Amino acid sequence: MSGRALIRTAVLIGVTLLFQTTVVLEIRIGGMAPDVMLLLPIAAGLVAGPVEGAVVGFVAGIAADLLLPAPFGLSALVGSLIGFGVGAATASLPRDIPGLSVLVALAASGIAVMLYAVLGALLGESQFIHAGLAVMIPVVAVTNAVLAVPAVRLTRWALMASGDRAPTGSQR
Amino acid sequence: MARPRRSRRTLTTLVVLVLLSVTIITLDETGKAQSLFSGLKSVASAIYSPLRSGVNGVLDPIGRFFAGAVNYGSLQQENQKLRAEIQTLEHRGAATTAARKQLGALQRLLLVNKLPALAQLHSVLAEVTTQDISNFTATVTLDKGTSTAIAVGDPVLGPGGLVGQVVTATPSTATVRLLTDGRSRVGVAYGSKDQQDATVAGQGAGRDLNVEYVAASTAISKGEHLVTSGLQGATYPAGIPVATVASVHTVAGATDREVRATPIVDVSGLTYVEVLQWSGSS
Repeated sequence: MSGRALIRTAVLIGVTLLFQTTVVLEIRIGGMAPDVMLLLPIAAGLVAGPVEGAVVGFVAGIAADLLLPAPFGLSALVGSLIGFGVGAATASLPRDIPGLSVLVALAASGIAVMLYAVLGALLGESQFIHAGLAVMIPVVAVTNAVLAVPAVRLTRWALMASGDRAPTGSQR
Repeated sequence: MARPRRSRRTLTTLVVLVLLSVTIITLDETGKAQSLFSGLKSVASAIYSPLRSGVNGVLDPIGRFFAGAVNYGSLQQENQKLRAEIQTLEHRGAATTAARKQLGALQRLLLVNKLPALAQLHSVLAEVTTQDISNFTATVTLDKGTSTAIAVGDPVLGPGGLVGQVVTATPSTATVRLLTDGRSRVGVAYGSKDQQDATVAGQGAGRDLNVEYVAASTAISKGEHLVTSGLQGATYPAGIPVATVASVHTVAGATDREVRATPIVDVSGLTYVEVLQWSGSS
């Protein structure tokens, strides 16, 4: 990743976090807010592959954890695993499948919320697994699916700066 | 040979990141790097809070502008006049209702602050600016911080009783972990004749509190009030109303009773809170 790509990615993470904590938090569906921070590792995995997906997921997770009174590092762990998982799972897929980013964002966001809840419960936060997940998972998954296309474009702009080329899936 | 080397590098990256995350989580959970992490969180909040306030300040007028633009040009002159009149009346009514609510909340806050146990303590009145910054935590953000002597660990009161505790503070904002948050633990006392101690644990936003360590042999009934115990090393002063017992179940053979309680303060609709400047008992 070039220096320019690093700066762009850092800006993208910062702006997304600001967007999440201002605009997105005001949107409540069934009492639950969407989580657009999860889109960053998903989009990075799709655009640039598992390594970039995991790294973006880790950094975005740490940034989110700094503002949350929750187990520090948990968002980073989930982000790394999701970014890597998306990159690895889509690496061998043809690049011209219509709506691939939307479908991947839908599925990966739902899995990420469940993973956060389960890992949190394993760390002693048993209240993370509760009936509200039945609303939270579709809310986060559907909103992220809707925002998947612009998220992938923004992530490609950030990661592919200075002529960097994606190893896989760059046309999604 | 290139492909195995590449996949090895890919896996190594994942393993390193996972190990790093697990190390950070472990250090946080065991409290071994508490000062480092709370310092980092305070710095991050100090950078982010003004940005967030700025964005909110910009977005609010835009929202109002679009609301006005939607109505513009679509109404006849007479209808516009009538609607404007209706709107004015509605706004007046809403403003009166909102003002009454605020007044009631502030009056109840003042009553709590007159509790004998709290009479000697200084407090700071703060407005709640943000509710719940995550789906998994129950927190609120206040419009005041360390510049008004608010510090991490300060107890926070709402209209009628305890609301939570300050967990991070910047010069201009403070984040409060509410009683309902899963990480919240409050030592409480119950029983009018023979006072007993228990712990109230949060179960997540919108859910009842769990009252732990209530021995099966002790008397506790629905409707009983739980107040902070203020034991040696407690994180809250004694005597603050916390919750009301909502249900009591005795399981055959169990040493403890299953007790649920509801917070005295409706933490989902907070507007103003009082932050007590209390450094804790020793």
